[in-house]
Amino acid sequence: MKRYLKLVNFEFNRFFKLYLVLIGITFVAQMSGVIVESKSYHNQANEIMQEDLLTQSEYVQQYGPMSFLNISESIWFLGTIALCAVTLIIYVFFIWYRDWVGKNNFSYRLFMLPSVRLNIYLAKATTILLFVLGLIALQLLLLPFENQVFKWIVPEVFRTDLSVLEITNLYYLNLLIPKNILEFILFYGAGMTAVMIVFTAILFERSYRLKGIFYGIVYCGVSILIFLAPLLLQASLLENYFYPMELLFLEIAACVLVLAGAIWIGNMLIKNKVRV
Amino acid sequence: MIEVKNVAKKFGRKKVLKGVSFTAEKGQITCLIGINGVGKTTLLKAIMGLTPFDSGEILINGEKIHPGTYEKITFIPDTITMLPNMKIREAFTFMADFYNSWNAERAGELLKFFRLNEDDRISDLSKGNAAKVNLILGLALDVDYVLMDEPFSGIDIFSREQIADVFTSHLIEDRGVIITTHEINDIEHLIDKAVLLDNGVILKEFDTEEIRENEGKSVIDVMREVFQA
Repeated sequence: MKRYLKLVNFEFNRFFKLYLVLIGITFVAQMSGVIVESKSYHNQANEIMQEDLLTQSEYVQQYGPMSFLNISESIWFLGTIALCAVTLIIYVFFIWYRDWVGKNNFSYRLFMLPSVRLNIYLAKATTILLFVLGLIALQLLLLPFENQVFKWIVPEVFRTDLSVLEITNLYYLNLLIPKNILEFILFYGAGMTAVMIVFTAILFERSYRLKGIFYGIVYCGVSILIFLAPLLLQASLLENYFYPMELLFLEIAACVLVLAGAIWIGNMLIKNKVRV
Repeated sequence: MIEVKNVAKKFGRKKVLKGVSFTAEKGQITCLIGINGVGKTTLLKAIMGLTPFDSGEILINGEKIHPGTYEKITFIPDTITMLPNMKIREAFTFMADFYNSWNAERAGELLKFFRLNEDDRISDLSKGNAAKVNLILGLALDVDYVLMDEPFSGIDIFSREQIADVFTSHLIEDRGVIITTHEINDIEHLIDKAVLLDNGVILKEFDTEEIRENEGKSVIDVMREVFQA
C-alpha cells in the first residue's frame, strides 16, 4: 500500500507541471470568455437600443436576455473543456508509452521495483482519476466566480440569472458534474472502466507488440460488447423485458465485470508477459 | 546462486536462446561473452523477469523471481533507467523511497569515487557519466547479485578504467556479478568464470583461473579457439 501511494505521488508529479498549464489555460480562457461574451452582448444591446430607439425592457423583449448559458455554449468554455478532455485522453496512452520511448528507459526501473507490478497499473489509473477529478473540482470552483463576473458586467435588466446548480444541470455540464452520488458512480465508474480497458489493451501491445495490437483491439471489442450487453438485449431479443431499475443494475453488474476483467488480465500481462 | 536451466526464447520466428543453461555463484564474477545479437541482453532480462521466456527455468537462491527478489538482485542495463529531468539527488531519493536495500552511504561514496555532483541533471550528463550514475544506482543497493549489460559500451578510456576499478574494490566483494561484454580486455583479469555464447547457444563455460593455470591460456585465447572454430 505504501509503495502504491508512493507510485501515485510519483506519477502525479511527472505530469504536474503540464497539469498546471492546463489549469492556467482553463482559468484564463474561461474568464476571458465570460468578459468577452458579456461585454459583446452589452455593447450590442447598447448599439441596437440607440439605433432603434428602444428602451432596455423593449430590447430584452425583442432580443431576449442573456444568461450564463450563452457563455457556457461559447468556444471559450467548450474549447477549454475539449482541450482538457483531449489532453487527458492522450495522456492515458502517454502515461505508459513515455516509459518505453526515448533515450532513458524508465520502464526498466519501474518493472524492477520491489513491489507487485499491479501497483504500477493501479497507480497510473489512480493518477488519471485524480487529474480528471481535479479538473472537475476546478470547474466547480470557477463557476460561482465566473457567474459573479458575468453579473458585474451585464446589468440585471438584461440578465436571466442562473444558480451554480442550474448551470451544472445544463446539458454537457450535467455529464461532467453529476447531480447525485448514483450518477457520479455511474459516469465515473464507466469512465474509469474505459481507462482500464485502454490500459489493458496497451499492455497487450507491450507484451505481444504487433500481434498485441490485434489482441488489444479484439479485447476492447469484447469488453465493449459485454458492457453494452444488457442494453443490446433489451433493445433486440428481450424487447423491454427489464424494468429501468433492473436494467440499471444489470449495467452496473456488466461494468463491474468488465472492470474486474480489465484489472485481472492487466495483472496477468504486467506480471508475466510485458517485455521491457 | 543464480541457476539458468534450459532457457529458450523466440522473438517471432527467430530463436534467440536455444536451451541455455549455466550457473552464477555469489562472490564470483561471471562474464557472458559473445558478439552483438547472440542473446546476452535477452538472457539478463530473462533472469530479471523483464523478458518472459518460452521454456526452461530460472532460479535465484532457489526461488523463481518475485517482487521481493528485486531487493536481492539488480540489473544495470546499458541505458540510463532514470527520468532525464531528474537530478542525481532526486534519483537517489527515488531509490531510497522504493528500496529497503538502498544504501545511501555507499551511494555517496560512489558519487565521490566517480567525482560526480548530486545536483547534476541526468539529461546533462555525458554518456560516460550517465553510465557511472547507472552503476551507482545498481551498486548502492545492498543486493546479493548484480547483472551488468555492456558497462563499457561507447564510453571513454578513463571512464572505463574507473568502472573497471570498481570490480577490484570492496563494492563488489561477496556479490555475485554477471556481466556481458564484447570488450573483454578491460576486465579479463577480473573475471572468475566465462560463458561463451553464440547464436543462442552456450559454446563453452569455463573457470578462468583453471584455464590459466592448467592450460596457460587467457580468456581471449579460448575465445579465439572457440569462436574461430
